[in-house]
Amino acid sequence: MKVAVLGCGGLGRIHASIYAGMQDVELTGVCDIQQDLADDAARMTGAVAYSSFEEMLEKAEFDVISIALPSYLHKEYTMHAAKAGKHVISEKPIALNLEDAEQMIRCCEENGVRLFVGHVVRFFPDYVNMKQSLDEGKLGRACVAHASRIGGHPGATKAWYNEVEQSGGVMVDLMIHDLDFLRWSLGEVKTVYGLNRREELLDYALVTLQFESGAVANVEANWGFPGQFQTKSEIAGSEGIVMANSLKSSSLQIHKAPSASETSAFVTVPESPGFQSPYELELLHFIDCIRTGSESIVTARDAYKALELALAAIESARTGRAIYLPLVQR
Amino acid sequence: MKKLRIGMISFAHGHAFSYFNSLHALPEVEVTGIADSVPSRVENLVRAHQLSYYEDYRQLLDTDIDAVVICSENVYHAEITIEAARRGKHVLCEKPLGITKESMEDMIAACRDNNVQLMTAFPCRYLAAVIQAKKAVERGEIGDIIAIKGTNRGSFPGGWFVEPELSGGGALLDHTVHVMDLMNWIIGSAVKEVYAYAAPLFQENIEVEDAGMIHVKFASGVFGVLDTSWSRNGTFPTWGDVTMEIVGTKGVISVDGFAQKNELYSKVNGKGTWEFWGDNMDAYMIQDFVDAILSGEPVPISGEDGLHSANVALAGYQSLKQGQPVQL
Repeated sequence: MKVAVLGCGGLGRIHASIYAGMQDVELTGVCDIQQDLADDAARMTGAVAYSSFEEMLEKAEFDVISIALPSYLHKEYTMHAAKAGKHVISEKPIALNLEDAEQMIRCCEENGVRLFVGHVVRFFPDYVNMKQSLDEGKLGRACVAHASRIGGHPGATKAWYNEVEQSGGVMVDLMIHDLDFLRWSLGEVKTVYGLNRREELLDYALVTLQFESGAVANVEANWGFPGQFQTKSEIAGSEGIVMANSLKSSSLQIHKAPSASETSAFVTVPESPGFQSPYELELLHFIDCIRTGSESIVTARDAYKALELALAAIESARTGRAIYLPLVQR
Repeated sequence: MKKLRIGMISFAHGHAFSYFNSLHALPEVEVTGIADSVPSRVENLVRAHQLSYYEDYRQLLDTDIDAVVICSENVYHAEITIEAARRGKHVLCEKPLGITKESMEDMIAACRDNNVQLMTAFPCRYLAAVIQAKKAVERGEIGDIIAIKGTNRGSFPGGWFVEPELSGGGALLDHTVHVMDLMNWIIGSAVKEVYAYAAPLFQENIEVEDAGMIHVKFASGVFGVLDTSWSRNGTFPTWGDVTMEIVGTKGVISVDGFAQKNELYSKVNGKGTWEFWGDNMDAYMIQDFVDAILSGEPVPISGEDGLHSANVALAGYQSLKQGQPVQL
């Protein structure tokens, strides 16, 4: 199978290097409008660099395209690729509004190609393990859940994250991981209540989901946390409680004495290494789904529903009301 | 030295035992007697410390005491407090202060009119980490406060706690008030809007909710959420928690009130447990109550403080009925 990657920023490079190392997959092209980024990715992977998608579409052979562009470009390039008969693996969020998401899903169906969206938390072993505890009955009925995802503001290094029209803000871009995970684990959502404050280089949100089952979850997301990126989650049920905490599962910590040039006293880098990264597990799964035609662990419709939750949270924060689903968009 | 003479009214709420121990340890205090309509709850204590016992709390109020500590079922707080105030006794009342806004206002008025002090038992104000967090906020270390995410989770208490005619409500009332008081205290602004969800989820066939999630907006623009659920089952290594993530424009303060613990894995306990070794917040609260009464200074946590927090929980029930936020 031949694959190309569109967008050679942080995630695009991750996708490209994973494909380059995959058996039975050939990475034929990497593309970015910033030629130097495309060249870097090409040097790293041995693929051909392109600075225009049209040119890559014309010159490179590929069956699948990974789209790791800023979120506001997902729709345009997904539809472009679908019309050219390419299967699409898009980074999350699927789109920035439900109409766009629906059009993307329809367009891929009409052109007979698959659409996958990178809700990678479904491939993080700690989250998979939580859901497994629930599915195996060890928690009984799920009752009250929490999820938290906090880190620095990505807009500090990439300006498009600061534009809500381009990134969707912290709920659509970051919290959507937990919204999808909770819907995956606890089922369909009945109401959404959101609280949000946005300032320069700070976007903080608290969102509560009430599920059809009666369960409730509160989700925290912070762009602007002055510390290491970290995730926490918990599901408390009638028979048990399962808790995950990225800070407490660092299986490796490298503590370094300061070099002469550094002003800080010591440097500690906590890590949680595995032989396959969650991104690798995700892309292997998507490629396998394309090969076998099987249903994905996370479908494009799941991605649509996750976006609906994030948009409902924004609508709730804006109006101060609890939003009853389905979301009717303005 | 003049000793402060204190009577204890009802041991329905188990916190009474800890309050008794804290009072008993103070040389400036004499616990003179205990009133409890259920003698079996207190007979060991009465015998061990040779205390006077009264079945009717009015008999205790007839004695020469300066103050009472009330740990009755929630629904009796108002009646007992008002009766104590009429007899000129200062009151330390267990939380929640009351189960209706009107009855709490009556309690406050009765104490004011009779020139006695009313303090609400909010021991979490005496967690050292909470006090340091408040000081850090006041020093501006995390800029302006935006939000607080709190948890005050607990274990299923059973007994009268789950009989609405005695408790006035379940986990939402029981566990909103502690951390809501901390939020009020730290933010220094009044709650103006409440949105809550509560339901019996963990236990089957109970008449009150055991799960609660309550959201508040303060007049200052700060917002908050608090998990009040009785979600800790018997296999969990401890009873529950008190946590706050205080989020500011320039940083975040994380408070985990009972993080000062050792992990104990003992066959004697049958499971792994967390052994808390931090300061005893009840003892510091009791000391502050006693100091205030002896010196004639205002008590550190007022009846109004108790009302403000309980009123948020009561608004939560209104919100639950309407399925939307309600204004205070």
